[in-house]
Amino acid sequence: MKYAYFPGCSIHTTAQEYGISSKAVSKVLGIELIEIPEWNCCGAMDAVYAYNPLLSISLSARNLALAESMKMDVVTLCSACFFTLSRANKLLHEDSELKGKVDKLLNDSGLQYTGGVKVRHYLDVLLNDVGLENISKNVKVKLDGLKVAPYYGCMLIRPPNIVNFDDPEHPHSMDKIIEAIGGKNVDYIYKTQCCGASLGLTEQEVMMEMTKDLLLEAKKANADCIALPCPLCHLNMDAKQKTIESAFDIKIGMPVVFFTQLMGVAFGLSPKELALNKNCVPTKKLFSQIHA
Amino acid sequence: MNQQQILPRPKHAITSEMMDKSFLADVIKMRGGQNVLDCIQCGVCAGSCHASWAMDFTPMQIVRMLHLGMKEKVLSSSTIWICASCYTCATRCPRGIDIPLLMSALKNMAIKEKFPAKIPVKPRFHKTFADIVQKYGRIHEPELFLKITNKTDFKGMMQNAKLGWTLLRKGKLKMKAPKVNKKDQWSTLFKNIAKEEGV
Repeated sequence: MKYAYFPGCSIHTTAQEYGISSKAVSKVLGIELIEIPEWNCCGAMDAVYAYNPLLSISLSARNLALAESMKMDVVTLCSACFFTLSRANKLLHEDSELKGKVDKLLNDSGLQYTGGVKVRHYLDVLLNDVGLENISKNVKVKLDGLKVAPYYGCMLIRPPNIVNFDDPEHPHSMDKIIEAIGGKNVDYIYKTQCCGASLGLTEQEVMMEMTKDLLLEAKKANADCIALPCPLCHLNMDAKQKTIESAFDIKIGMPVVFFTQLMGVAFGLSPKELALNKNCVPTKKLFSQIHA
Repeated sequence: MNQQQILPRPKHAITSEMMDKSFLADVIKMRGGQNVLDCIQCGVCAGSCHASWAMDFTPMQIVRMLHLGMKEKVLSSSTIWICASCYTCATRCPRGIDIPLLMSALKNMAIKEKFPAKIPVKPRFHKTFADIVQKYGRIHEPELFLKITNKTDFKGMMQNAKLGWTLLRKGKLKMKAPKVNKKDQWSTLFKNIAKEEGV
């Protein structure tokens, strides 16, 4: 199984553990992630779009053009990249005037995109190409009912007319994978609630209110950790957890891991191979029995 | 008999001078705004919004204000900047209105027309993000953090510094800018986009 891999900016910086653990898990499962050479920013949802819509769509289109020459489906880890690339792909299919404009821009810089690329999320690949059976076959260490709060966030599942491999209101793809590797999903009512996303950069107070609720609710559900598939949600919930604790004068201490890190632990990979030391809220206690 | 209680005048009373007739037509021309007239004011978006508590108007109110041409109120609202594009509203909208995209379009209009934003850092955030991406091909977090930090907000600055330190310690903040090869190719693309008028 080969895919044109689009890491996205955060995988190289703030979410390195996601990239590292996904590559390690892919190796076990026989998935080849071939990084798109010279890829650029996907257009970052609304960040570039609000300033210049054409720039945002063209950024995505350039990546799609590069992937098309590789003749493979695009796979992303980041939910926001997944959404942004999928949206551009859809708009280019539906809007011929826009397509004409973008085609000309691409041609002038020596590229071409005919529209033949499918954009997929890594979770979709795991579930539908690899299959749960193959995943559980590779489990070497029992997670022994580790209580996990599966958090999906927004862009992975919404809106269904752009991204549609899971249910937008009651997603279950990650739940299934967590079960397949021996974890126990707790009943987490905020699995699709927004974390505040990039408001963390501009409206910190608003983001902290939103993220605080997600963390506390996981605690109330008695979860040992939160598992998620998005670098930006992870930044808000993990790296900013200490700031949230001091801003509201509360103690949370909730480990937040990428679902691929959990998979890796179950596959018997070492903490180093999964970059578990990169998570800001310590994960040592979480896997203390496994990595004794 | 009790004297009838006189209620205070509503805060957001609408007057004719608030209505800009060309505004609605301009919005309908933008991607995301095409079907705003389909709105039946059911309120699902307002009830679903995860961030409405931090907004001065709910998304439903914004759409009604668009119908009425209340350009000044809409473009100077905090709503358009607080929307985090989580897409809960659009997923549930029975009329298929892409509200987050509409909010992005309104942001774009507010930036282009230099409307004073209720959250001043926001237009700067979008411009800086786009500038950095055009410079390196990818985002460079330290530069973004530094350029959008509000130097008069001491508390916010301290919080950002703390986050920066946490990330730096974990090797997650790279001071060196990202490098995407074949710069000639992608910088030509960006230069040509800058020449285009809208989309």
